[in-house]
Amino acid sequence: MADLLTVQSLSAGYGRAVVLSDVTFALGEGQALAVLGRNGVGKTTLIDSLIGVTRRFAGSVRFSGKEIATLSPEARAQRGIGWVPQERNVFRSLSVEENLTAVARPGPWTADRVFGLFPRLAERRHHAGSALSGGEQQMLAIGRALATNPKLLLLDEPTEGLAPIIVQEVLAAIARLLREEGLAAIVVEQHARKILPITDRAVILERGRIVHESASAALLADATPLERLLGVTER
Amino acid sequence: MPSATLLGQALISGVLAGGMYGLLALGLSLSWGLLRLVNLSHFALAFLAAYLTYEMGTTYHIDPWWSVLVIVPAMFVIGLLQHWVFDRFKVNELASLLITFSFAVILEVAIQLYWTADYRRFETHYSTLSIKVGAFYIPVLELILCLVAGVLAWGTWLWLRKTYVGKALRASAEDAEIAAAYGVDHKKLAYLLSGLGAAYAGVAGTFIALIATLAPAQIWAWLGVVFAVVIIGRLGNPLGALFAGMLIGASESIAMAVLSPAWAPVVSFSVLIVLLLWDPDWS
Repeated sequence: MADLLTVQSLSAGYGRAVVLSDVTFALGEGQALAVLGRNGVGKTTLIDSLIGVTRRFAGSVRFSGKEIATLSPEARAQRGIGWVPQERNVFRSLSVEENLTAVARPGPWTADRVFGLFPRLAERRHHAGSALSGGEQQMLAIGRALATNPKLLLLDEPTEGLAPIIVQEVLAAIARLLREEGLAAIVVEQHARKILPITDRAVILERGRIVHESASAALLADATPLERLLGVTER
Repeated sequence: MPSATLLGQALISGVLAGGMYGLLALGLSLSWGLLRLVNLSHFALAFLAAYLTYEMGTTYHIDPWWSVLVIVPAMFVIGLLQHWVFDRFKVNELASLLITFSFAVILEVAIQLYWTADYRRFETHYSTLSIKVGAFYIPVLELILCLVAGVLAWGTWLWLRKTYVGKALRASAEDAEIAAAYGVDHKKLAYLLSGLGAAYAGVAGTFIALIATLAPAQIWAWLGVVFAVVIIGRLGNPLGALFAGMLIGASESIAMAVLSPAWAPVVSFSVLIVLLLWDPDWS
């Protein structure tokens, strides 16, 4: 399978601080990668490096066969990288529908199709972003990224801070995107067991380095690396 | 107490005069609200356009309705050049105020050097035309100004709400970094908006040439009240700017009729102070 994304020996951070060191991995078309790790190990920095808001010290990032490490965030987005930020950052003064159409690019994902994925948003299409609940904002953040019709979707802790029932709804939507739509994705998540069943591969980060890489199914079958590196024991 | 006719006439005149406030406020409100650039040179650009209209009309006998077709695109280009400076030197909100104030002073001096400090009046055969409706007189030029201001404000409002570019601009104004991460090219949009704001100054300038007496120092005459209008109408809201302009124009005119002309400037700032005390986050 042709690689959609190839990250080679990437070291990146903010200002003078190097957060990621020598990170290498690849992602094929339609593949989903789980990025796991404790708090502060560099998961969000990895996402930030892919969207282009960190300082790169070394390494390369190739996307669809082209080097993008020197490109601006808008140029990367225009090439097909969609981002769902950890803080959601919906445009609060724009309506739900405007949030989707302000960044929309041509492709199969239209505002109506996003409303099909998240019917709750359809009901609130004329409400301002600031008037949404946390769960609705997360749905809108995912929908907004989809409206850019990305080739690769980056989801940074998509279930953080959500009520359990909303977590199920958001995970079901993500599963549909990855499994039924075949969208390539990188999903950052602290709670490994939520995301491993719907991803193909997984990497575990520790102190800015990839310390484990395997198929997600293998990690689910043998949780020893999870227990050792994340302290995960729950079932 | 003045008669009902006088009050009615004051109200009409005020609303029509407020159209000029709204038209001048339009470009300022857009650049301040959507680009976070406080462009004081907007007034100087409007007066440059007014003097150009005057020059083309008196020296070359070109009717203002034709000269506007040259002046407005020229102002658009000046807006682009001005934004190149903002962009090149990464000018922030406060610095933009100081830089554009300096630019306005330089432009005032340049106007004075070329056209002198003498008062100039561009007389046309329609300068004093008015329509009589019942007991009231409606000056035609001011009425056209209001209609043009209304069309521009309404059109800009629709553009910001219904088009991709407009919505992207609003998203960018709220959070430029996040908008960029979704592929919005804020830089290009900012150039477009700067050009548009300057073009609106060009339209305002054409009407200033037709309605007002020109003198370089007059650049500053509307600064205070238009600033108040921009804030009252909410930053970045074109319809708000127009309605606030008409509200302030009407209030000033009524104050002049009921109290005395000296009270007019008090009105706009009183409204502004009350509004900001009532809701500090109003703008």
